[in-house]
Amino acid sequence: MNTSSENTIRIYVMGSAYEVPRGLTIMSAMEHAGWRFTRGAGCRSGFCGACSTVYRQEGDYRLRFVLACQTEAEDGMYLVQLPFTPAPRVSYTLAELNPDENVLLQHYPEIARCVSCNTCTKACPQDIEVMDYIQAALRGDIAQTASLSFDCIQCGLCSMRCPADIKHYHMAQMARRIYGRYMSPVTAHLEERIAEIEKGVYEEEVEALVKMTRSELEEIYAARVVE
Amino acid sequence: MRESIARVEATRPARLQAGPPPAMTPAEREKVLAEFHPDYKAEKKRALSIGVSAGNVVPSEVADMLEAHLLVDPAKIDLSSVDYDVDVLIIGGGGAGTVAAIFAHQEGIPAENILIVTKLRHGDCNSTMAQGGIQAADRPEDSPAIHYIDVMGGGHYANKPELVQAMVDDAPEIIRWHEELGVMYDKENGEYMEAHGGGTSRKRMHSCKDYTGKAIFNPIRDEARNLGIPTLEFSPVIELLLDGEGKAAGAITYNLETGEYRVIRAKATVLATGGFGRMHIQKFPTTNHYGATADGLVIAYRAGANLLDMDSVQYHPTGVAYPSAILGQLATEKLRSQGAMPINADGEVFVYPLEPRDVEAAAIIRECWSREKGVETVSGVRGVWLDTPMIDEIHGEGTLKDWLAAMWTMWHRHGIDITKDPALVYPTLHYQNGGVEIEADGETSVPGLFAGGEVEGGVHGKNRLMGNSLLGYNVFGRRAGIAAAKWAKSKKNKIKTLSLQHAVDFEQQLIDAGIETDIQSPMLLPDYRSKSVLERSLGRFL
Amino acid sequence: MNNAAYFPGCSLKAEAGDYERSAAAVMEVLGQPLEELERWTCCGTVYSLTDDDLMHQLASVRNLIRAQECGADEIVTLCSMCFNTLKRSKVFIEQDSARLETVNAFMDEEQDYEGGVEVFHLLEILRDQVGFESIEGKVTRPLSGLRVAPYYGCTLLRPREIGIDEPDTPTILQDFIRALWATPVEFAFQAECCGTYQIVDSPEMVLEKSHRILNSAMRAGADVLVTSCPLCMHNLRLCYEELRSSLPEKRELSIIYLTQLAAIAFEVETGELPTSMAKLVEGLPTSMELVP
Repeated sequence: MNTSSENTIRIYVMGSAYEVPRGLTIMSAMEHAGWRFTRGAGCRSGFCGACSTVYRQEGDYRLRFVLACQTEAEDGMYLVQLPFTPAPRVSYTLAELNPDENVLLQHYPEIARCVSCNTCTKACPQDIEVMDYIQAALRGDIAQTASLSFDCIQCGLCSMRCPADIKHYHMAQMARRIYGRYMSPVTAHLEERIAEIEKGVYEEEVEALVKMTRSELEEIYAARVVE
Repeated sequence: MRESIARVEATRPARLQAGPPPAMTPAEREKVLAEFHPDYKAEKKRALSIGVSAGNVVPSEVADMLEAHLLVDPAKIDLSSVDYDVDVLIIGGGGAGTVAAIFAHQEGIPAENILIVTKLRHGDCNSTMAQGGIQAADRPEDSPAIHYIDVMGGGHYANKPELVQAMVDDAPEIIRWHEELGVMYDKENGEYMEAHGGGTSRKRMHSCKDYTGKAIFNPIRDEARNLGIPTLEFSPVIELLLDGEGKAAGAITYNLETGEYRVIRAKATVLATGGFGRMHIQKFPTTNHYGATADGLVIAYRAGANLLDMDSVQYHPTGVAYPSAILGQLATEKLRSQGAMPINADGEVFVYPLEPRDVEAAAIIRECWSREKGVETVSGVRGVWLDTPMIDEIHGEGTLKDWLAAMWTMWHRHGIDITKDPALVYPTLHYQNGGVEIEADGETSVPGLFAGGEVEGGVHGKNRLMGNSLLGYNVFGRRAGIAAAKWAKSKKNKIKTLSLQHAVDFEQQLIDAGIETDIQSPMLLPDYRSKSVLERSLGRFL
Repeated sequence: MNNAAYFPGCSLKAEAGDYERSAAAVMEVLGQPLEELERWTCCGTVYSLTDDDLMHQLASVRNLIRAQECGADEIVTLCSMCFNTLKRSKVFIEQDSARLETVNAFMDEEQDYEGGVEVFHLLEILRDQVGFESIEGKVTRPLSGLRVAPYYGCTLLRPREIGIDEPDTPTILQDFIRALWATPVEFAFQAECCGTYQIVDSPEMVLEKSHRILNSAMRAGADVLVTSCPLCMHNLRLCYEELRSSLPEKRELSIIYLTQLAAIAFEVETGELPTSMAKLVEGLPTSMELVP
């Protein structure tokens, strides 16, 4: 069925049909159709995971998974938004963890239920190899879990789809924090600079700048040597 | 478009060879700003006529929102029934608010005596969207003093000196705190990979690929959750409460889903509501999140807080100009700091790629609308090219896709490969430079009310530099959280009564000043429903 | 070795690191270095016995696809459980084209598995491709006089159609031990189950089973027991510590991976050895001393 005209397309929002202009994102198309979001809209730039959207294209049996703010609406899309993922997260004290190869499994034992079906990966709107990082977590490879999951925006689609009820994104957040704290050392000059500031090494110089007039500052600014 | 891209490709080898053109002199900067920057259009602004900052000139849209009717008649609210009674109330679940909550807790306030209220979800904020980086002067070639000069010059010397001092001094410590939280900063051989940002004289931009905002904010939020700090989501504040003596005493929230109000009494209140991008000043598209509607300015102004530098607005030089579906979304400054040059329709480089943001934006506007060397899209938007393929040419194949993954993905979703073709960009509304005036520890002019993050005014003067918003929310979120905790612990700061009299008075001032408006504020959320829908709308459930 | 991809499995990357380190060193000496499969995933851990539940075959088949993708015609494992799971899945899925079709249709994001990737345990490679004589030729420190119990457990041998040797009278480990100049010490429980993953829910049962195995090996006069399974290793070492007092007192038993035994004989990286094993190694004559 061809439902489109030159300038408009037909979308179905939770089953109801609407004609909307071409060239809008799914989010803007729904708004154009009369929706005013409270749920389902956040940063509107693909970073927050509020607008995870499930759709099916007319004539296709598959469900597809995208961010409404990042995807252009197409003719014949059947759309529904996922407002919230009731995924439990485990609390922990990062400073007191033993960052060994069992730490992720101990906090999220359900990762051992992974059967490698890869449904999570297929559901990820960020194209992350989700199943691969679950597998990395399972064998205690924190560095790889952290790096594979780096682009995760915690939209929750993986966890909603997982037949093993794994809470991928919470576990991955924990892995990235463990990596950041324990496996990626603080650089020496950061520590040196903090010590210098604490000792007041720069106090006089900055104080002097604080007291300067605008024209004095302008002179210094104009004379800056850009690295 | 293709023809123009061919011209960009034709000049690329020579540009790679020659490197960027020289930066403008201060006089040249002043000229391009005065002629082309949206801030310099006097007819788009007006002076406030009521409130503590009466006489201050602000964008007309801001003035309309500040000088508007209350959203709810205070008489409808029963202040005798308090729903939440806390030590520290934090308004806003973004970067500054979450940092404030953690440090209020570290300062001795039990988690259950802190409450974060937020309009959307905890983390629906601009902090999580930042891409490029965070400044901290930690390299031996750099110093807090050099950072200070860069910030003041970038801000046109309007910044409050003591705030800039606090920011540059705290910066390295903030980075170390992030390290303790497990933020995955970009490192090479154990050293930070630090880059320039527009207007910096030293490389001090720390990054986490081009997900810097998310990679910093998410561990902070995770930490707040580990500490068990309570959060009330989908509950924007519609009015602050005072205690009858002019001290901040809490707030009234509105549940976006059920429509109920709640009364919160708090010994200290932290305002961390972010900025105003969704007001679309001068009809610009924006990079901002859905809830950036200046609510904090409105409620604080009614409560007697004065505003600073509200006449200046930051337009990010490079928002998406094509495709129109993602018009105005951010093309991070990191693209330019890694070598991509702005190029006009004829393939010519016309500006130093890393001028401070206002200057860079003005130069792009000039190229499009005065020199007529922009590229026009089918929907009538003009823009200039950002020559992104230069990045891989300079740093090696794969660099862009690895280190600017979010950018690559954004365009890729619309069939554009920015490693092969340049991207079309145009300035987009990005940041509220000014805001509620604060002191170095986040105090506002209302006793017991503290502020941090984009809502505050004074840190960035008339123009914020890249990488100082992430830094700013951490520095002043922390300082505001600590100061609020100390204030709440002090016995002399008891709350005796709860009052909305200041809101009633404000409404009266509006009438007395003869202001006629049908706007009610705070705005809470923008309305993007189409005209045809709005014309027939009967309201929901009538 | 043909074009083989080494499949480590999760345990080898965690608590069984010594197994991998010693195996890598040994295979280097034998001129067939281990080349790790790219993007491998967990094998599935325990082979699913339900005929109609193809979901549980996905983990294994996906690894076979990964091998196929990188042009490998063999997968080599060290862990006996991985071997068992991967091989049984392979046989099951290749037996019936309908099963293969269903699994391929489900994993439509991958290339189709075409069948034919062989699954071997390292011991089979040593016996059939390297040859025990070649191994003997690489020994620089013969393990003369060392009494070694060959512990098979179950997953290397059973079920019969996938086993690497005769399930009731296996000889492959004894031959391997002999090739290193050590003395195999056969014992009654050498192909008994250690209790495996029941350690999570029924540790008492596992300790009882493991105790029987250790007791039998020690009474037969073994100084060393070799295994090819990280889970057996875990259970047996746990049992040895927990129930030391009820095991033969005068004798110490060193429980190690089979590749560690070869690494000692080749004088290459062995990974960490139990103190008792280190003592035994010190007591061994070096190759120099053996030369007449």
